Amino acid sequence: MKQIIAILALAAAAFPSVAATSLKATVNGMVCAFCAQGIEKRISKMSATKAIFVDLKKKTVAVEAKDGMTLDEKAIAAEIVEAGYDVVKLETVQMSVAEIKAELKARK
Amino acid sequence: MTPALKRIALGVLGAVVSLGACAGPKGFKDSWMTMGDFGPNWREGVANYSLTARDAVGAASIYMRSDDEAKTRQLTEATYTRLLGRWNLPNAQANVWFIGGLGSVTGNDFAGSKAMASPGIQVDYETTRVYASVFGRLYRAGALNHDFLSARAGFSFYEVDYDQIQPWLVVEARRMRSLSDKTEVTPMLRLIHNRYFVELGVNNFRQARLNFMYIF
Repeated sequence: MKQIIAILALAAAAFPSVAATSLKATVNGMVCAFCAQGIEKRISKMSATKAIFVDLKKKTVAVEAKDGMTLDEKAIAAEIVEAGYDVVKLETVQMSVAEIKAELKARK
Repeated sequence: MTPALKRIALGVLGAVVSLGACAGPKGFKDSWMTMGDFGPNWREGVANYSLTARDAVGAASIYMRSDDEAKTRQLTEATYTRLLGRWNLPNAQANVWFIGGLGSVTGNDFAGSKAMASPGIQVDYETTRVYASVFGRLYRAGALNHDFLSARAGFSFYEVDYDQIQPWLVVEARRMRSLSDKTEVTPMLRLIHNRYFVELGVNNFRQARLNFMYIF
């Protein structure tokens, strides 16, 4: 029994869970998809960006970091401002863009 | 001014107005925007580059033809677009724009070219369901001296996700002082996608209009 527990513990340690990290921004003024494409295009070019999601109705921009990389909050906020909008809130969440997207859709 | 010249001026200003009175006559910083406006009597192409989040420079070319197809004009101008003010609200955006041009106009009924200046101001307000704008522009080129005002209002049938096409119904009313006693009214179907912007309409003179914008 002890051997089984030890084996299971070693197996669990060998596969540590890696949660995705994303920045979630609440943005004002984002009412037109054609006009908001600048946010997506500019942030997609950033080296640490793995995925990006824009939700006009929820006023949300979510950016997921590539594995092992850190998102630059100030730089991302600056890109949203350069695209013509205002960032009112910025938070780091341990979720992927896909998970954030699903959560926002569930709120409808 | 002869009726033919009045129709030409009407066509010119109509082409200019339809591109100016859009949600945003420039793209995001470091992007190129192209716009086109096509009708039976005018064809207009515009390209501008956004140097900053508020400034864009570019060029426009307008070909127009009188209703009797006897006279034509070709306008070429350098353009400057400036975002004078923007208010990003939780569920809306409002803007004040300066849109101006300096160039020259040639015609098949006069020799040489005339210098042209066309400064204008646009004010707009939009949400994900409602759009409204007012656009005033001067058009001065020698003997051609016109002022006009246009207003647009519209609504979207429903909200969509960011990567879906959103249809709108937009109506434009335009009137030009000292050129025509008529008000041109154009209902348009507007399709907005996150990659392109298209408007299709027919005015009360039964003329079809197509307008598009693309950013790259």
